[in-house]
Amino acid sequence: MAAAPGRSRAVLVLSLGVLALGIGATVVALNLPEAGGYARIGPNFVPKVVAGGLILLGLWLLAEYFTGGWREAVPDDPAARGEHAFLWPAFAWVTAGLMLQMALIHNAGFVLAAMVLFACVARGFGSTRIARDLAFGLVLGLAVFLFFVRFLNVNLPAGWLLPILGGAGL
Amino acid sequence: MTETLQALVTGFGVALQPINLLWGFVGVTLGTAIGVLPGVGPALTVAMLLPLTAKLDPTGALIMFAGIYYGAMYGGSTTTILLNTPGESASIATALEGNQMAKRGRAGPALATAAIGSFVAGTIAVVLLTLLAPLVVEVALKFGPAEYFALMVFAFVTVAAVLGSSTVRGLSMLFLGLLFGLVGIDDQTGQMRFTFGVPELMDGIDVVVLAVGLFAVGEALYVAAYQSRATEAIEKMSGSLMMSRDDWRRSWPAWLRATGIGFPFGTIPAGGAEIPTFLSYALEKKLSKHPEEFGNGAIEGVAGPEAANNASSTGVLVPLLTLGIPTSATAAILLAAFQSYGLQPGPLLFQTQATLVWGLIASMYVGNVLLLILNLPLIGLWVKVLAIPRPLLYAGILVFATLGAYSLHQSVVDLVTLYVFGVLGFIMRRWGFPVAPAVIGLILGPLAESQFRKALAISQGDPSVFFTHPISASLLALTALLVLVPWAWKVMRERRSAR
Repeated sequence: MAAAPGRSRAVLVLSLGVLALGIGATVVALNLPEAGGYARIGPNFVPKVVAGGLILLGLWLLAEYFTGGWREAVPDDPAARGEHAFLWPAFAWVTAGLMLQMALIHNAGFVLAAMVLFACVARGFGSTRIARDLAFGLVLGLAVFLFFVRFLNVNLPAGWLLPILGGAGL
Repeated sequence: MTETLQALVTGFGVALQPINLLWGFVGVTLGTAIGVLPGVGPALTVAMLLPLTAKLDPTGALIMFAGIYYGAMYGGSTTTILLNTPGESASIATALEGNQMAKRGRAGPALATAAIGSFVAGTIAVVLLTLLAPLVVEVALKFGPAEYFALMVFAFVTVAAVLGSSTVRGLSMLFLGLLFGLVGIDDQTGQMRFTFGVPELMDGIDVVVLAVGLFAVGEALYVAAYQSRATEAIEKMSGSLMMSRDDWRRSWPAWLRATGIGFPFGTIPAGGAEIPTFLSYALEKKLSKHPEEFGNGAIEGVAGPEAANNASSTGVLVPLLTLGIPTSATAAILLAAFQSYGLQPGPLLFQTQATLVWGLIASMYVGNVLLLILNLPLIGLWVKVLAIPRPLLYAGILVFATLGAYSLHQSVVDLVTLYVFGVLGFIMRRWGFPVAPAVIGLILGPLAESQFRKALAISQGDPSVFFTHPISASLLALTALLVLVPWAWKVMRERRSAR
């Protein structure tokens, strides 16, 4: 079960991933036109080289995997890295914050989306003071919105707060 | 020589204008702050600020970015000494001795020697940059597309393969970056490549989204999943910042030696910051009259590596400004910053935009002075910044990260891409794939392809042009050597030990 670092299933998947990327890129590159012109090489040359390179590198990674594992691999055991075990909830909360922001930003506006993002990420990092985090997020969102929209003319959606924020910069 | 001095004087004229002084001040302050904060680096900060500073005057904005870049070096020492978690690997040497000094109540002198050493090294390095730049520019003016292409190949390979633990993983990231760089419309033929009919991909993959995704989102995901529940001990900064006479006596030679080591390493593509700082540490240990102190808080062990670090980062600016070749991820982002204003660093920039370039160089002299002031008397402020709780810190980082990515096109697609790159960054961190080659591949790849095709266009399709031009041929040969020699040596060593 606990294989040497560099021989885990993830390593195999990643090696195959690089190879697959190379193969996919080659297929796409082969469909690009030649159109050499003076240079005799066209827009398809470098894509073919890069794709080919990825195939070779994928094979190299696989070769390392099958001959004892990736060299100089990162230890799989978190303790060996000075870290704790993988915390799914932490990863999920940060992801949730980012996803919610994507969903909210156009409708609810940048400020409210930032508030939700802030609180979710803080939760992911172990904070239990939701009200405080939401408050901080709101303040930060407002400060950022006012500064960047008013002073730097950046375009950010005001969303539901439009009546309060005014047509700031939009 | 007199031309250089004249140019520098003009540069000071630009750098000392109140508005540019202000930008410089903002830059170095911001740089120190992010240097202090774990989880944010100069590369990420400049990337986040790029879309937000698009409408500003280029000179001021670039002065600010440069300030962020070397300011972060100063701030990083504070965190390393007080927290024992080096922000970048270059600080491991400082962490060894600096944290030990802090544990023994000598945090003040450690911070002082780091700040003053950084100032000395930084200023000397800018002088060296001033002297060296015109010389390199003169040589570079003779470069044609073939030479530039060979130089870029050299930079690619050394960054990906020579440094870091795994050549294959470094090269994989390089090629991934090159692939990303290919997405979009081909400049020379208008052909769409790797766009899969998605209109948002026609402009290519934006370096801001990639860099912010890899550095900010990826870092946040990783730290949340693997490090967020550990507590860190911050050493108290008791006592004054004053260095004793003995401290001074032991520090200043270390500063000078370190500058001599750090600067050359910064200028060459294979440099990075880890090698010169470790070399400086080893040298100081060897030359020290108190070698037994090393490992328990020897001041030379802080003075040397910190100075080397600074000298090396300034050295990185030599190939960046004179040749347009970035030798680190941060340098690549700075290159992208220039490009966002329609400027291409290189010998031509020294000729067509001399005022801007020399204003930038002159601003570094001023910046180093500002940083000395910021980091010595104001050190208490930065120590408080260090105490920001991690949940709030990373939440704030992601708010800024998504702000930067969203502001590019006001499109949620960019936020989705940002997250995808974040997951990629997580994978890279977890399984040991270096980030710098990917960023450099993305930014430098299109330039390299363009030079490659130009060279072939001039030679009418004859590929031997890369080997018949002497400079180009030697660079390619050097690249091959740099890869083959360590590999052959390793194979021989393995054979010998297998007997």
